[in-house]
Amino acid sequence: MGVVLDTLVIGLQTGAIYSLIALGLALVYKATKVLNFAHGEVGTSSAWVAFAVMGWVQGLGIGDPDRLTGLHLLIAVIPAMAAGALLSVGVKLVIDRLKEATDVIVLVATIGLGVLMTAVQLNIYGATGEPFPRFLDGNAFTLPGANVPVSKHTLIILLVLGVAAGLLALYFKTPHGVALLATSQDPFAAELQGVNVGAMTASAWGVAGALAAAAGLLGAGIFNLLSPGLLLSTFLIPAFTGAILGGITSMVGAVVGGLLLGLIVATANQVNTSFSLGLPGPPQVAVLLSLLLVLLLRPRGLLGTEA
Amino acid sequence: MAVDMTTAPATEVGPPAEPPPPLHVQRWEPDSRGWMARWGVMAGLLGLVLLLATIVPDVYTNLVAKAAVFGIIALSMNVLIGYAGQVSLGHAAFVGAGAFAAGYTLTELDLPWMAGLVVAAASGALAAVLLGAVALRVKGMYLAVVTIAYGLFAQEVVFNISSLTGGGAGQTAPRPSLFDTDLKYAYLCIGMLGLFLAFDMLFAGSKAGRAVRALRDDERVAASWGINVTGYKLLAFVLSGVIAAFAGGLFASIEQVVAPADFQFTLSLTFLLMTVVGGVGNRWGVVQGGILFAILPQVLEALHEVHIGDLQPFGWISITLEPVISAVLLILTLTLYPGGIAQQQHHLHGWLSGRRFKDHAADPLTHPPAVYREGDEPPPLSAAHAGGAAAGAPGESSEAATEAGGTS
Repeated sequence: MGVVLDTLVIGLQTGAIYSLIALGLALVYKATKVLNFAHGEVGTSSAWVAFAVMGWVQGLGIGDPDRLTGLHLLIAVIPAMAAGALLSVGVKLVIDRLKEATDVIVLVATIGLGVLMTAVQLNIYGATGEPFPRFLDGNAFTLPGANVPVSKHTLIILLVLGVAAGLLALYFKTPHGVALLATSQDPFAAELQGVNVGAMTASAWGVAGALAAAAGLLGAGIFNLLSPGLLLSTFLIPAFTGAILGGITSMVGAVVGGLLLGLIVATANQVNTSFSLGLPGPPQVAVLLSLLLVLLLRPRGLLGTEA
Repeated sequence: MAVDMTTAPATEVGPPAEPPPPLHVQRWEPDSRGWMARWGVMAGLLGLVLLLATIVPDVYTNLVAKAAVFGIIALSMNVLIGYAGQVSLGHAAFVGAGAFAAGYTLTELDLPWMAGLVVAAASGALAAVLLGAVALRVKGMYLAVVTIAYGLFAQEVVFNISSLTGGGAGQTAPRPSLFDTDLKYAYLCIGMLGLFLAFDMLFAGSKAGRAVRALRDDERVAASWGINVTGYKLLAFVLSGVIAAFAGGLFASIEQVVAPADFQFTLSLTFLLMTVVGGVGNRWGVVQGGILFAILPQVLEALHEVHIGDLQPFGWISITLEPVISAVLLILTLTLYPGGIAQQQHHLHGWLSGRRFKDHAADPLTHPPAVYREGDEPPPLSAAHAGGAAAGAPGESSEAATEAGGTS
């Protein structure tokens, strides 16, 4: 019982980050039918922006002068999310300029932009990474019967995820949200109906970028370490899998799929240790198998509407 | 009841008429001096490639071998992306599979070197069949995600089985006794690159190559022509996997040791980038892309080390700039020159294959070329096709184009 609860706690923590990233991926996919591989690095770059802002704030004599704390991070949230939104819109502007915009070419272009952002981070901050604070340190409580405590950080991630998902769900009920849905279905027809298609898609990319920034700040907090390419190497592929698992056209699906994949990965790790199978890389096996199973058996995902 | 042909009213059918002589499309042809210039430039380029391994300083001999191997890998990517229209973001898995299979066969089983390459190719085929089977069901960008997950799976799981790959220290892969020095091995790799280029030309022109390219353009149309879509798609994957794994086997013996750390996820991205920058679908372009990306880190390092007196003019350049440069090249390629290096050299390619350097006149829609029967006198070239005075550019300008194209 304790083991199951531990797996649940660990799974929910990583799964919530997956969901947060998957939410941005699904939003972009819904708006423009682009699988955005630069999404993860938009988040990491924003986290580096937050890191720079935090250093500056610390230099002003605010907060603890010796180490970065949650207070610094709180001040840096707005600049980081703005940076994320700007970077994400920048990615979209590059994609709009592609000569041949087939699905795969667009995908390759976003990969290139992701590599570029990682490389720039690497050149500015070096490969080793920097310590990164959490909003709140320490543990909140321990579930009865479990060994792994629920940290306050996990609660914050879940809270942010809930707020983001709720706001997006509400957004799609507003006239703007409906216009975005119309744009995603048929940009030309939407334009004829008086929808400003460019602004709609750009806003979707911008919101997705802000979500990526939130995921970057919280994801770096999990390890207390921010390194170049963090989201690309650690979270992006599971987040993609989560989004596809839940159905990439569905916001709810992205959240559910991300959390589910977090649980699957945690279970795979737990099974590997409990039965001492000694398999190398259980998370990668779990991710690949989940991806293959969902694409082969139910390509539209659990909650998606179309393939 | 058989029809009595003898009593049937005889409509006199003579012997079948001779088929008319085949039609030819009128084409501008260079004169003998033009051909000599073209052959001269081609021989010069070939000589340059052949001499390169000898000319460069000894420390860079292995780099030449690596460049040739990257050229082969680029050809393998080209089979998949350029011909079959499938994308692979996990190609390091094939190359790695080949490298470790070769290393294992050579070191643990102590078999001869050629056996190592054969086992490498077989392992690549196996890895590619698995991925290809998925590609039959999963299309487009979803396939791209699967290939990434596949590459990560190979990197984190398969390449970490230390009995196969030797763990962190790596697997040793000795060279064949005939090609034991760096220089001889570099020539072996260059020779293999030539072999695969020739194979690529044969394949692209063959029935299978045409079928694969047909299903790239539209699978349903291809199927309606009776092309076996499943079979040819699998064939493209297997071919690509075999070539990549073969290249992996060659790669293993360059440094004579391969470690799992050599086949990171970023390597797959490099393979993709070099193919796109080289020019998807053009074998000469992708090979140059491969060579460019193989030598880029060392070029940056060498630039960093340049000293003029006490000055270090390029001291700010470092090896960490490599991903920045490659990503910027990719974005520029996709936004400005989707044909990559090949597109920039397209005049040179045309000139070398016996056309004018700049073929402005040839818009076949507005000025259709004349058509004549074999044996007939070709009609004189029309003014539009005779072209400008700059026709058949001299060797010097094409040499300049080679350099410009090769370094950009």
